[in-house]
Amino acid sequence: MTRVLIVDDHSIFRTGLRTDLGGAVEVVGEAGDVDAAVRSIAELRPDVVLLDVHLPGGAGGGGAEVVRRSAALLGEVRFLALSVSDSAEDVVGVIRAGARGYITKATSGADVAAAVVTVAAGDAVFSPRLAGFVLDAFGTAAGAPAVATRDDELDRLSAREQEVMRLIARGYAYKEVASHLYISIKTVETHVSSVLRKLQLSSRHELTAWALERRLL
Amino acid sequence: MTAAEPAATAADAALGAFPPADPASAPAAASRIRPPLVRPREVFLAGVCAALARHLGFRVGRVRVVAVALVAVAALFALVAARIGWPVSLAAVGATVLLYIWLWVLAPREPGAPDAPRTRRVPIALLLLIAAGIAALATLVLWRSTAPIAPGSIETGVLAAGSYLWSALVDPRDPRFAGWAPRVRAIAAALVGLVGLLMLPQAVIEGRPIVAVTAVVFLLLCAAGLAAPPLLARIVARSAERAAAARDEQRSEIAAHLHDSVLQTLAIIQNRAGAGSEVARIARAQERELRDWLFAGTDPFAGDLATELKTIARELELEHAVRIEVVTVGDVGAIESGALAGAAREALVNAARHAGGDVTVYAEATPDVVEVFVRDRGAGFDPDAVPDGRLGIRESVVGRMARAGGTGAVTSDADGTEVQLRLPRRAAGVASGTLASGTAAHPGGAA
Repeated sequence: MTRVLIVDDHSIFRTGLRTDLGGAVEVVGEAGDVDAAVRSIAELRPDVVLLDVHLPGGAGGGGAEVVRRSAALLGEVRFLALSVSDSAEDVVGVIRAGARGYITKATSGADVAAAVVTVAAGDAVFSPRLAGFVLDAFGTAAGAPAVATRDDELDRLSAREQEVMRLIARGYAYKEVASHLYISIKTVETHVSSVLRKLQLSSRHELTAWALERRLL
Repeated sequence: MTAAEPAATAADAALGAFPPADPASAPAAASRIRPPLVRPREVFLAGVCAALARHLGFRVGRVRVVAVALVAVAALFALVAARIGWPVSLAAVGATVLLYIWLWVLAPREPGAPDAPRTRRVPIALLLLIAAGIAALATLVLWRSTAPIAPGSIETGVLAAGSYLWSALVDPRDPRFAGWAPRVRAIAAALVGLVGLLMLPQAVIEGRPIVAVTAVVFLLLCAAGLAAPPLLARIVARSAERAAAARDEQRSEIAAHLHDSVLQTLAIIQNRAGAGSEVARIARAQERELRDWLFAGTDPFAGDLATELKTIARELELEHAVRIEVVTVGDVGAIESGALAGAAREALVNAARHAGGDVTVYAEATPDVVEVFVRDRGAGFDPDAVPDGRLGIRESVVGRMARAGGTGAVTSDADGTEVQLRLPRRAAGVASGTLASGTAAHPGGAA
């Protein structure tokens, strides 16, 4: 069973989430701030860390700081960001630090469990809003698809990835995206993971400017 | 006249608590309560006479005549007193003038909107400047090398300084004089400098230290007067900047605090209460409102598609058990709401009413086309099976889009319903004033 660590500074929320997750996954621990989270991750080596974006403690970097400080374990431990909101601005910092997706805190227990399983399998979890942010950040809507000056491959989305992102932004589940595009779910997951990688590694001006503005770099 | 009115009047009269409605007795009531002693916002000199006239119920003209007569009589009296060697001579003139100044200082201006203009008809700074000019002329004409200090030079300095201060401190707030206040100040400063400049060489040649010192002081005052405005402006700008920065910092601190506390709590409430419950709905609406206020600074009256979609979502979330996520890509903020928003509203109302739960709105604007997708997770229905009498989808979505020059389509299956709206960019209006900001606000727009 997937071993999960819940990191959130609200004990009510941690308790509630633990109850909601029920028997679907195994909750191995909880942490309430950055330092405790880093310690618990090194100690417990969970499969998935459910990580609040806004966390007290440490150097003030919140969830992104936890991911960065646990970077050595990224191959083994996977991070799923929990955000109080749908706004990509809250989340992109954690994603770029290495988290494999995010869900909002209003997500129901069953959906959280499903997302945990997806992330544990090495896939990415994208919400409509994050997909919308990706489309915006990679400039697909503006018509001139990314005049690539540097790393061509990382700086723009392929036509297929664009289609997948657009469908996710429209509220389609992976399964529905697959049937709509006549491809397998596995292919959809591959596309999403590839987009996630670009989101994390691309040096596109919009992403770096965005990060600079929020003093993330 | 409605039936309720006479009854109310009768009741008022019986109670005696309100002035009777009979117009004939209204002036009598007004004269009993004197209007407060306040100076009007638009005044002749200081508004003292107007204030007194209104307060006492006299005509302004009469009060002015009396005031001038009082000053004249007092001056005459003072002259006579001075001639016969009475020591009260100054006090006699002073009494009337003092009363005027007393009322000027203590009678407040009429209350009004904080930015309502306060103006006067008499250009005091200009009058003082003219007086200073006359004094300066007198200095030049009456200059005698035998005088210990040039006659009129002190007067020139004082009057010009008065003119300068008045136009620097009072006139900028007066729309009638604000325009030429800087010019008045420059001339006043130049006048002082000119007198100093003319006095200086002569004083030095003739070896009069006091005149030389006066001249130097005048020159310094002139320099200070000319240099002060830009310096002051810079200081004011800097302090305003600092205040704005402090405000921003405080605001973002509040935002951070609310984000960590209230928004988290609202999220927990939504989570614990279950998606469809009344409590979750209220918490969700509250969260959206707070978030908009904290971060977006969205203008609820901007007539663009992005704002309109968010507004519709918020309204429907309050009315129905539904969670609507609005995602926009591209410069949707630059599109006029119009037919797209109308059709989207209809689609959203349908989704909220019949499907509920999670609904996604996706709006994307490319240079060629604007698209809006509304997807719900309801049981679905057969769009072709909807009877003709029901206007709903067919008329208000598909029909409306066709009339606007676009297309509308509805697909529905067991997993939910999706309404697809499509409008060529040239058929979509441009939201007024939002074109520049709309493109700048989106990272994708700058690619």
